[in-house]
Amino acid sequence: MKTMDCKDVLANLSCYVDGEGTAELRTALEDHISRCRRCRVVFDTTGMMLKIVTDAEPFEVPLSVSARLYARLEKILSEV
Amino acid sequence: MQRGERPNRAVPDEDDFLLVDRVLAGDRRAFEPLVRRHERRVFRVTIAVLGNIEDAEEAMQDTFVKAFRHLDQFRKEARFTTWLTRIAINEAIQKRNARKNFMPLAEAETTEQQFAPRRHESWKMSNPEQLYGKQEIHQIVENAIQLLPEIYREAFVLRDVEELSAEEAAEVLGITVPALKSRLLRARLMMRETLAEKFEEPPTLKAKIVHKAVDVGTAVAMRLMRAAGRQGRNHEDDGLQGCACEFVVLRRR
Repeated sequence: MKTMDCKDVLANLSCYVDGEGTAELRTALEDHISRCRRCRVVFDTTGMMLKIVTDAEPFEVPLSVSARLYARLEKILSEV
Repeated sequence: MQRGERPNRAVPDEDDFLLVDRVLAGDRRAFEPLVRRHERRVFRVTIAVLGNIEDAEEAMQDTFVKAFRHLDQFRKEARFTTWLTRIAINEAIQKRNARKNFMPLAEAETTEQQFAPRRHESWKMSNPEQLYGKQEIHQIVENAIQLLPEIYREAFVLRDVEELSAEEAAEVLGITVPALKSRLLRARLMMRETLAEKFEEPPTLKAKIVHKAVDVGTAVAMRLMRAAGRQGRNHEDDGLQGCACEFVVLRRR
């Protein structure tokens, strides 16, 4: 595989953080980011961002929202 | 109806199928555990499309009512969660389109340049909870997601929050897998930029100079570094930054 430039590398960011792509592609990406600090930071911090988001478990259903949902469903489930 | 335990992320499809069968056989109460298992996902999906809790609540209620009334149309070739998510997306999109002030963002209106990474500092975290409390991080993440333009927010929530596969996310959004992947990449880059404001290391002086100089070329950066070496020790910071600015200004004229 020919050497990748920063733009090619960025286009394959998702492949890398999702653990997808061929072994050849991953080697080419790793080769680039081992030499390019700017891309390395973008790749590393994108991985960190995804971990922060996953750990934060955003958008819990507020208790009041949940209660109103069940109240509305109760009416429907009680219909004869 | 009582609120039950929090559902697991990975809900076995077979259990959904059994509950659906029970409802269709006349046991209407079997719909309650189905709601408990999927309530959170439906809420997240509707909030991803609509961007606020009030509208998301209404869309969530309508989703479950519609799912209950049309349960006989569910075919077990698909996962129940995919079928339900598609209803939720449709409900939410209908509500969004009905808003008077809704201005859809077309992908054609966005450019590659808008998504070019601008922040290149490392993040000062091995454990983000050392920097912020759990509740604070929760808020930072929710705010960042809500800042995403809607087409990117939908893709991001389905893939990176709800952890649907690219194929499932594309299917429920009614777009191709390459389109989904393109939106997801942009969403991730935007999320990274937003969170960088909270998590990145303050840039070192050297980094500041290099960043300023990068627009005008490496040669300038080299001259800046040499100039840095000539600065007096006490006024090093001011002198270096002044130098950097001067070079950049001169080169742009």
